[in-house]
Amino acid sequence: MSNSLAADLIIPIIKIIIVGLFPLIMVMVMVWLERRVVAFIQLRLGPNRVGFQGILQPIVDAIKLFFKEDITHTGVDKVLFNISPVLVLFSSILAFCFIPLGGTMQIGTYNLNFWVAESPVGLLLIIGISSISVFGVIFGGWSSNSKYPLLGALRSVVQILSYEIPVAFSVLSIIFFSQSMNMIDIVNRQKDAGIWYGFMLPVSFVIFWISVVAETNRAPFDLPEAESELVAGFHTEYSGIKFAYFYMAEYAHMVLASSLAVVLFFGGWLPPFPNVAALSFLHVIPGFVWYLLKIMFFLYLFIWIRGTFPRYRFDELVRLAWKWLIPLSLLNILVIAFVRSFA
Amino acid sequence: MIINFLKKVFLIDLLQGLSVTLKYQFTHKVTIQYPEKVKESRERFRGILRVYRDGEGKQLCIACKICQKACPEDCFDIEGQKNTEDNKMRPVKFDWKLYRCSFCGLCQEACPTDAIKLSKEFRMATRDKSKLFFTLDQMYSDYDLNKHFRGESKK
Repeated sequence: MSNSLAADLIIPIIKIIIVGLFPLIMVMVMVWLERRVVAFIQLRLGPNRVGFQGILQPIVDAIKLFFKEDITHTGVDKVLFNISPVLVLFSSILAFCFIPLGGTMQIGTYNLNFWVAESPVGLLLIIGISSISVFGVIFGGWSSNSKYPLLGALRSVVQILSYEIPVAFSVLSIIFFSQSMNMIDIVNRQKDAGIWYGFMLPVSFVIFWISVVAETNRAPFDLPEAESELVAGFHTEYSGIKFAYFYMAEYAHMVLASSLAVVLFFGGWLPPFPNVAALSFLHVIPGFVWYLLKIMFFLYLFIWIRGTFPRYRFDELVRLAWKWLIPLSLLNILVIAFVRSFA
Repeated sequence: MIINFLKKVFLIDLLQGLSVTLKYQFTHKVTIQYPEKVKESRERFRGILRVYRDGEGKQLCIACKICQKACPEDCFDIEGQKNTEDNKMRPVKFDWKLYRCSFCGLCQEACPTDAIKLSKEFRMATRDKSKLFFTLDQMYSDYDLNKHFRGESKK
């Protein structure tokens, strides 16, 4: 009786709490890492005074933001203004329910799964849920009753809608091979195939990655927040904790995008070469650690790209999506479908 | 033509850019960690005025007041007295006002015995105006300015 209570109620609640906190902890790591890495690229040192090498900097920043005055200026649509930061952050955290953070671990007779929910259409759900953040962005920009946020929100919507298509197409090529939209199945199929899909479908991965960088509004596609043109884009009028929500949501989206890239293209919690017997000692390291290592690489890649490339012009951005990435992903999917059905 | 096309397809230029920034991440950083490390001043940098003694620790200033006359900002207030030991004029009062000084260096040029020089010290910020006024024993080069301005003797 007590055993089943633990299995049915307590463990899921603990898992939900951990999965809710995981993106936020990663956000803190990312805030520090981004400032340090970009500083290193620019031959500076970055924040290194608070704690060892400045690792307590995000906590200090958060405390400062939480105690700042929360300004709501006149002419604001209060409901939308207050709901949009929550929508943006909530959508990215909710999507983590379907991401497997690790494999199944056997403790006694109980199988501990490192995911909260398993759904046969998990991938579709993740793409759907993370798209809710567009509403947060456009509500935030619109309800601010100010022209820069509105322009930023419009840009953001055009950008996210354009780049959603290549993301969906490149993900579709994964589904051709895994024949499942279940995230756990996709990882297990990669184990059976003996090769991660990222190496099998490099074109899909490159398209996916470029589009996902654009979708998270990151440099070099950070047009909605282009400070030289639009102050801060859709969150110009936000301050204090609501601004912190937008800020955290941006990083949470990056963590989500990296998690998707890892699970879909780079074998999730699997160690490298999972089927090679000589490398079976790598299975000793728990799957969560492998997952974490991989997403850290992709999060680092986000920052690295930001520190390297200058911002696109808006027409270039839209042209890249509609004239290059979408035709390329269509062609890619055609070739893959052809190969899959005849070879 | 074909090479350029292949370069575009395989994103060679983007990868080149990434390799440049990767290299820069591991090169020497130009930041100087200020309170711990202080950047060396330039050769002709003019900092706070100090009174120097000669190599044997003997007083150089002869209270001739030429610096007082040379000073365009009227920083000095010097009074001298004849010293019975070496039969020379020596200052008994050497008041100097940092809050008036413009670091022009005319006093240094005018000094016939090289007793006063503008040092390299540039950290003179304080919240207390009385600390911008120096008397004779505070003017010597071995006086601890760190302690004077910031209340700590760390150098």
